[in-house]
Amino acid sequence: MEIFLDRLFDGLSNGAIYATLALALVMVYRATGTINFAQGEMALFTTYLAWGLTTHNVPVWVALLAAAAAGFLLGAVSERTLVRPIEKRGLLATLIVLLGLFSVLNAADGLLWGRGNQSMPSLFPNTLTSYVSVLGARLYWANIGVWLLVAAVVGLMFALFNRTPLGLQMRATANNRESAALSGIPVGRILMLGWGLSAAIGAVAGVLFTPLTPDSLSLGEMFPLLIYASAAALFGGLDSPGGAVVAGLLLGVVEVLLPAYVPAVGGQLQEAIAFVAIVAVLLLRPQGLFGSKEVERV
Amino acid sequence: MSLLQVEDLHAGYGQAEVLHGISLAVEPGEVVVILGANGAGKTTTMRAVAGLIGRRGAVSIDGAALSSHEPGAAVAAGLALVPQGRGTFTKLTVTENLLVGATRRRDKAEVARDIERWYEVFPALGRRTGQAAGTMSGGEQQMLAIARALMSRPRLLLCDEPSLGLAPQIVRGVFDVLRQVNADDGTAMLIVEQNAELALDLASRVYVLEVGRVVSSGAADELRDSDTIRRAYLGY
Amino acid sequence: MSMPLVVQERSAAHRGLQAAGIVVLAALAVWASTANQFVLGQLTVALLYATAIAGLNLATGYTGQLSIGHSAFFGLGAYTTGILVASHNWNPLVTLIPAALLCFATGLLVGLPSLRIRGINLALVTLALAVAFPELVDRFPGFTGGQIGLDISVFQLLPPHWTGISVADRFQYYYWLSAGLLAIVLVLCATLTRSRAGLAMRAVRDRETAAAAMGVNLAWTKMATFGLSGAITGVAGGIFAIYLGSLSADSSFTLTLSITLITGLVIGGVATTLGPVIGGLAVYFVPYWTENLRQGEASELIFGVVLIALMFVMPEGLMGLAIRLSRRVLRVEPQPPVYPRGRSGPLHPTDADHPAARDSAPATAPDHRQERNTA
Repeated sequence: MEIFLDRLFDGLSNGAIYATLALALVMVYRATGTINFAQGEMALFTTYLAWGLTTHNVPVWVALLAAAAAGFLLGAVSERTLVRPIEKRGLLATLIVLLGLFSVLNAADGLLWGRGNQSMPSLFPNTLTSYVSVLGARLYWANIGVWLLVAAVVGLMFALFNRTPLGLQMRATANNRESAALSGIPVGRILMLGWGLSAAIGAVAGVLFTPLTPDSLSLGEMFPLLIYASAAALFGGLDSPGGAVVAGLLLGVVEVLLPAYVPAVGGQLQEAIAFVAIVAVLLLRPQGLFGSKEVERV
Repeated sequence: MSLLQVEDLHAGYGQAEVLHGISLAVEPGEVVVILGANGAGKTTTMRAVAGLIGRRGAVSIDGAALSSHEPGAAVAAGLALVPQGRGTFTKLTVTENLLVGATRRRDKAEVARDIERWYEVFPALGRRTGQAAGTMSGGEQQMLAIARALMSRPRLLLCDEPSLGLAPQIVRGVFDVLRQVNADDGTAMLIVEQNAELALDLASRVYVLEVGRVVSSGAADELRDSDTIRRAYLGY
Repeated sequence: MSMPLVVQERSAAHRGLQAAGIVVLAALAVWASTANQFVLGQLTVALLYATAIAGLNLATGYTGQLSIGHSAFFGLGAYTTGILVASHNWNPLVTLIPAALLCFATGLLVGLPSLRIRGINLALVTLALAVAFPELVDRFPGFTGGQIGLDISVFQLLPPHWTGISVADRFQYYYWLSAGLLAIVLVLCATLTRSRAGLAMRAVRDRETAAAAMGVNLAWTKMATFGLSGAITGVAGGIFAIYLGSLSADSSFTLTLSITLITGLVIGGVATTLGPVIGGLAVYFVPYWTENLRQGEASELIFGVVLIALMFVMPEGLMGLAIRLSRRVLRVEPQPPVYPRGRSGPLHPTDADHPAARDSAPATAPDHRQERNTA
């Protein structure tokens, strides 16, 4: 029983991060109709930045804030300088530019901070004994901390979107950009805000998640996370933040429990599983669990 | 000084120029209608004035030229466009649609009062305040679009083909509301319409567009029976 | 002689120009084959990249389905050949057939949900494919050699006797294999994209809903294109295995390769026939020439910047630019349509060309035609 709980807690922690990244993806999609391919790399870049700061004796929580701010800037500037000018040339062009950004960021990480694996210090006490016992299983403070922070971020986003005038403007812009402009909404600023927030969330996710596994800050860290997050976002419906969160948590739990209880699935098949999950979801329910169907007029 | 003064407007899409020098004016409190066959440039005119597409030529409100070509400038100057096809925020509720229309306003109490007013004027909307706007019928969405535009308390309302795709009964209702608003609030209106009869009933002045140019203009009563209209629409 | 020179499609002059072009390309290929072993090896890989890019072009360039998963097809083809030759002693060239078929099937599978997957989502699926492939290889080391890699004995990869190429000259063999494959693939793609299928592909790329409304079978077009695209890239991978003899998924067949291929596609020119050739040569040789900068990251950085810059400045790629410029010098015009005999009307040839019509026309016919002309 304890082992099951152990695994469950692990899965929920992973899931919390997938959920957060998925939320960031959904936010950008709702705002601009594109998937930010470079989302993972923006998060990685800002996480490296945070790590770099901690090696200069900056406290972790300050580094976290700095990373979030840097992420915001990175996202907003990317939207303004890269995405907006190229959007009118079509989806393919936009995706290719984002792919280019993906490469640039990943390469920059390597050039600025080296290729090796690094350990990201944790925000919460993270020793072997910093846990609380639940029914015999170990629930680490770090995990609890991650959940609480993620819950706070998700809660804030929910409140922003649904309870504030700004959130209404963002939802309106995502729904119909032209009508939003006609109503006097400053569409350009809203778009930049959407991307900025999304990248900031990604930064927070990166700084929170990386310390959970020692030595895991590396150039390739974010690819698999991006895929899981995308799977979660698609699964929940690309325009449903709630769905993305639920799907992310589910995915995290399944990822840990499935190989443990179905031996045929080896530990290294993570991405393949996510891949199959994505395809399955898109086949069976293209709008995801909670998304809404889109109708296109010719 | 006219409320809206458009002089020598040129606009188009990419390489193709659609408007070849349109000039028109709308006086405060007036209802002016633009008629013309398909492809004459009516919608392009509206979009150019509202700032959705690039333009060359002067557009001024109350004598002051519109500074930038962004839609924001037009809205700030007191313009509101009900676009062709309504442009409803399909995923927002009816109330949220109206709230978005009032984006630039700071007077919350008045905004709430306006929303109540439109729910009275359009009972169909009043019954569906929490409903996602995209699930409503075309007629209901048209009313919502008009109400949304009027939420900004514009001095000039631009309406692009309000009757498009609507049943005759509904269209009459829409035009009744427009007449009422014009009478009660003094809101000037510039309406593009295919349905010449209804439009001429409401308007005081008419412009007729043909292939991107104003080919005739005058009082609605005069043009109602003339050959110009028929020729503009049917070509003979 | 006035510029631009106008030539009618399928006329003798047009055919002549095309033949001249092919002769030039063939001459270039022959001249290149006289290079030394090292350069031949480089060209071999570059041309294989070009072929892989040509395959990618079908899916991404012509049909508008962004794929960043083609590294998986390349790898799948390579490993199919590798495993069949190393573990089962197959003749290397024959393995290209199962490689092609397997990649075709995989491509179909990836494209299978495509009626329901819109552009973005398909791109995500291909991303997952690219990242999953090395993982899958590592997962089954008994089969694939896992992380250590797969080695094929050189003796199994030597030029077959019927080619008459000696062991010492085997790089000639590899070179001609890749050049030959490229030539075949280019002809295939050129024919396909100029056919009705090619129109369907472009229709799907430009305006899916409209294409469907006009009778293009969306799912079939997307699936088949992806399958074929994967198969072509896979065969290139197979020959890559024959040339290299040693495979390691973690170094050769990762997401980075996919990005390299997309970069090559965009540099060369999306939706052009010869663009992939330029692209393949560019993505192989430019990093090689700039190798004095730090390895790995530097070229990735450059690729990223190039991708972004190109989409802004030269989205049609080098080939696209060349085509645009060449139109000032030479223009190929389609043949005018031919009408069936016996019809009359303002658009059709006059009665002078159709004595039969003239004889049977009533006396008032000329007036009739006059009216139509002014309508």
